[in-house]
This record gives sequence, structure tokens and C-alpha cells, in this order.
Amino acid sequence: MELFLQRCFDGMFNGAIYASLALAIVMIFRSTGLLNFAQGEMAMMSGYIALVLLSAPGAAGFGFSLNGTEWASQWIPFHPWPVWLAIVAGVIFGGVLGAVVERFIMRPLEGKSALSQVNVTIGMLILLNGLTLWIWGPFARAFPSPFPNEINDFVSIGGARLRYTTIGVWIVLLIAIVGLGYLLQNTKTGLAFRAITSNRDGAALVGVPVGRTLTIGWAIAAGIGALSASLVGGTIVLEPLTMMKMLIYALAAATIGGLDSPLGAIVGGFIVGLAQSLAPGYLGIPTELSLLPPLAAMVLALVLRPHGLFGTVPVSRV
Amino acid sequence: MTALQEPQTGAPSPPESTDRSPWFWPGWALLALVIVVPAIVSSPLDLNKLSRLVVLVLAVLGVNLLTGYTGLISLGHGVFVGIGAFTMANLIDQGLSLFVAGILATAFTGFVGLILGLPALRVRGLYLALITFGIALAFPPFARRLGSWTGGVTGRNVTNDAFVPPSFLGLDDHVHVWRYGWCIIVVAVWFLIARNLINSRMGRALRTLRDNEPAAATFGINVRATKAGVLAVSAAMAGTAGVLQAILNPYISHGDFDAFLSLRLYAAAVLGGLGTLVGALFGVLALIAVPAFNGAVGLIDNEAVVFGAGLILVTFLAPSGIAGLFLRRSGNSPTP
Repeated sequence: MELFLQRCFDGMFNGAIYASLALAIVMIFRSTGLLNFAQGEMAMMSGYIALVLLSAPGAAGFGFSLNGTEWASQWIPFHPWPVWLAIVAGVIFGGVLGAVVERFIMRPLEGKSALSQVNVTIGMLILLNGLTLWIWGPFARAFPSPFPNEINDFVSIGGARLRYTTIGVWIVLLIAIVGLGYLLQNTKTGLAFRAITSNRDGAALVGVPVGRTLTIGWAIAAGIGALSASLVGGTIVLEPLTMMKMLIYALAAATIGGLDSPLGAIVGGFIVGLAQSLAPGYLGIPTELSLLPPLAAMVLALVLRPHGLFGTVPVSRV
Repeated sequence: MTALQEPQTGAPSPPESTDRSPWFWPGWALLALVIVVPAIVSSPLDLNKLSRLVVLVLAVLGVNLLTGYTGLISLGHGVFVGIGAFTMANLIDQGLSLFVAGILATAFTGFVGLILGLPALRVRGLYLALITFGIALAFPPFARRLGSWTGGVTGRNVTNDAFVPPSFLGLDDHVHVWRYGWCIIVVAVWFLIARNLINSRMGRALRTLRDNEPAAATFGINVRATKAGVLAVSAAMAGTAGVLQAILNPYISHGDFDAFLSLRLYAAAVLGGLGTLVGALFGVLALIAVPAFNGAVGLIDNEAVVFGAGLILVTFLAPSGIAGLFLRRSGNSPTP
């Protein structure tokens, strides 16, 4: 029981992180019908930017110096920044990156085939991954946790350790969800965004500034996604392959929850996180194959409930 | 060696139009030259390296058939190459002849593709991209675990002593040329099969599926069976690429078939040109040229950056890829 609880807590820590990336993917899918394969890599860029901002020159990661830290210590005031501030800056960078991508890459492709739009996101996936590898090298970097992460920082529940980092990540995710909900429900931009989601042409007809709203939507989505790369602190190290795997977890989460359902993204995130932490222990799957349980869950979801737990079944007209 | 030509530099013209691109004959001549010259001038080591890249044209062709003609995305064709290679190595261990082993390994890879496709293609093609990408990432660690089959962490040797030219050809000192020639023949056969497939009833069904799925279903095309079938053929093509790689290189390991290979193959297919057979040829040229360019210029020390940027640029500037630049003039421009 103790072990079970422990595994659940571990799984729900990862689950919250997958949920944030899945939420970003779902937001963009809902509004534009596009599956952004570059979401994870955009988040990773932001994570590395945050890492540069918070690392003293020459000391980042496991003994490998991090490119850019010398430059940052020279030109950016108060560098190295505290972890929190760096994460906020990383999220803002992610948001700006999302806005730039929407405005200058995705919008010119409006009206082109869906395939060419997906191709561009795959191109960005390859490009951003290559850039990260090129600039910062293949080394694994430890991202410091923004929450108390000493050996004794945990609450004991039924003998299992619920670490402060886990609670902290939940709180951040909760704030993000509540903030997003407020934004969508109570602001004019949110209303415009929802209008575009439900009927794009109609929204444009009644004067909703479609382009600007979508740019903001992409920025918010990318910002939420960027959280996932910054909050991994303490358990997962940042390396160029990290976010590709994370993307698969997030895509699995979004598929299980339903690609067009934000609630589904969050529930799916936790399901994937739990599957990933429980399956190795109880089914004897070695941890290096931890990609398999989420993949299996995704396949299972596609077989049993093809449109996800909370997704809508599309109707098509010939 | 001139006999070893590949089919069709000109596009597989749609059934209704018979006019040929002005590039048809020059293209054929150039292709023959590009194939023959390396066989004569390259050192054995270089030719072997080149052969390993050339056979990837089959994997690119597989991606092209899937994405260009059917509108499905696979980000995991590197895995099929790997399955083909490892299956081949193990079948040779069983004492099967190269021909039989190659055909069996190809068929097995196609079967794996079919099995993977059934759940993924249930809803819509998009999910195939998700699942194949996941598999591309999961394959290397998975292969590492299957020690007896794949040689585990260190990889494994392939016993390919039997693959030497018969003595009457006088090629005893040019085993690499013999192997290169065989690769070209196998590639040519697959291209012929692909061309016939595309111009057949099946090919028309694929294009209809790509352009309008509900309409295709209305016309009585069995959507799921057709999609799963094309995925099987496409995977089998990549499997043959793996078979040839296993023959060419006596040593294969899980690291040869990582996610980046799959992404590279997809990028190459798009760069070359989706929806035309000749696009696969241009695509594999990109696979060969990009590392060479990087080595020569030394400006960008990362292939992924070039492929990623190329993929984005091509989508904007030349939506039908490099092949599209040559084919558009003749009026049978492909519609990716």
C-alpha cells in the first residue's frame, strides 16, 4: 500500500507535467485543427533559456559549461537569476516564440493543405531539436527545482512521501488552469478565442480579429507548454531527447483525453503519468522501456474509445 | 553496369496524360550516369557507404507512397528499416539463403506495419503520425533489450560471406561493386512495383482517399483495408532497405535506427517531392548531399538543423519538393 501510494505520487508529478504540455497541444488543436509536433521542442528551447538565465557561468549541468552563460553574466543584470524568475522568463520566451511561430510561419500557410501545415511543425521539431543540440550539446542538465527539494522536504501520507515539489507542480498547474479558464471565460480575447474555435468564418464575419486572437492563443499555449520544461526540476534532467519523449507522453495524454478537450488533456496527463509509474513496478516492464505503457495506453484508447474520453465525435459532410 | 538502370525519371504520368516532361530523356541519362560513375571511381569503402545511403531510397519511397499518395504521415520508417535489418540478420543465422531471407524479412516488416496500422488508422490518419513517432523513440531502447535478436547494447554482426560474385564475372576483387549492383537492381524492382501499384486501381483508390476520404468511402473503397494495405507495402519497402543495409554492413546496432533516422527519412521524402516517384530519388540525394555539404562547408555542424530548415523552406517555396521544380513545366504537377 505504501509502495502503491508512493508510485501514485510519482506518477502524478509526471502527470501534471504531461498535462501542461498536452493542454498546450489541445489548445492549438481546438482552435486551428493543427497538431503541433513542435510543441515539445518549443518548450525545450524555453527550458534551456531559463537554464541559461539561472546558471552561473561554467557551473551548469553536471560539470559541462552551458553556452550563453558567460554572455548572460556579462550583459544581463543580476545574472544568475533566482530559479523562479528564470522560469517566468522562460515561459515568457516560450510565449513570444509561440506568437512569432504563429504570425510568421503558420499564418502565411493559412488555406494551404493540412499536410503542409503539419509538415512545417515537423520541420520545426527537427530544426529546434537540432538547434538545441547544436548550441547546448547532448549533455544532460539538471534543472534546479523551484520548490524546496531537500531530502526531508516531504509530507508523509500513509507512509508514502508526497514531496513538496510534487505539491508545488500541482499548484502551478492548478493556477495555470484557473488562469486559462478565467481568460477564456471572462475576457474579450477569451470570448474571441472561443468564437474562433466554434466557428472561424462566422467569427471573422462579425469582426473578431482572427489573426491577432490566434497569435495570442498560440502565445498562451506555448507559455503553458514551456512550463512543462521548467517544472521537471529535480526528477527529470534536461537533454535534447527529453522533450521528444515528453511530446509522446503529452500526445498520448491528449489522445486518451480527446484531442479537442482541455479537461481531457489534464485527465489524460494523469492517466499517462500513472501508467508510466505503475506499469514498471507491477508488470515488470524495465524503466528504460517507460515509453511503452503510454504508447500501449494510447493504442488501447484508440481501439476502445477512438475520440478520447472527453473528445467530440466529428461529423463530416461530403 | 549500364544495364542496371532505375525506372522512370519522368513522373509516372497520370493515366489520362501521356505527354512527357522535357526532362524525361536527359533525366534518364543523368540517372544512369549518377548510378554508374560511383561504381567505377569510388573506393570500396566509399562505395559501401554510398550504397547504405542509396538503399534508403526505398524507405523514402515508402514514406512517399504513404504520405504523398495516401496522405498518411509516418514518422517511424526508420524503425521498419531496423526491423528489416535485424530480421535479415537472424534469418541468415538460421541458414536461409540470402534471397529467401530477404523476402521473408521484407514480408515480416510489412506484416508489422499492418499490425501497427490497424489501431492507428481506425480514426484518422493523424494518429498514425503519433503512434509511429512514439515507436521511433521507443525502438532503440526496445532493441537494446532484445539481446539475442539484436545483439543488445553492442549490436551484432551479420554473417554475409555468401554474398560474393560468381567467379565467371571476374569481379572477385570488386565485391563492393557486385553488392552495389544488386542494391540498384532491388531498388529498381521496388520502383517498378510502386509505379504499377500507383497506376493501378489501388493507386487511384489511394489518391481518392488522400483527397477526400468520405467521398472515397462513398465510392465503395474500403478505407481501413486500403490504408492498412498501403502501410504494409510502405513498411515492406523500408524493410527491404534494412535487408540491404544488413547485407552491406557486417555490423548493425540499435543506434543505427534511432528517431533521427525516421525524421530524416520523412524530411527527405518531403524535400524530394511528395506524390511523385522521382521525388524519392531527389529525396535520397538530399540524404547524401546534406552530410557532404556539412562536411565540405563546415558552417552548420548539425544535420538536423539543415533538414528542419529545409523542410520548412520547401513547404513555403516549393510545395511539391525538388521534383516539383522539374515536373511542373509538363503540366502534370503533383498535388501533395
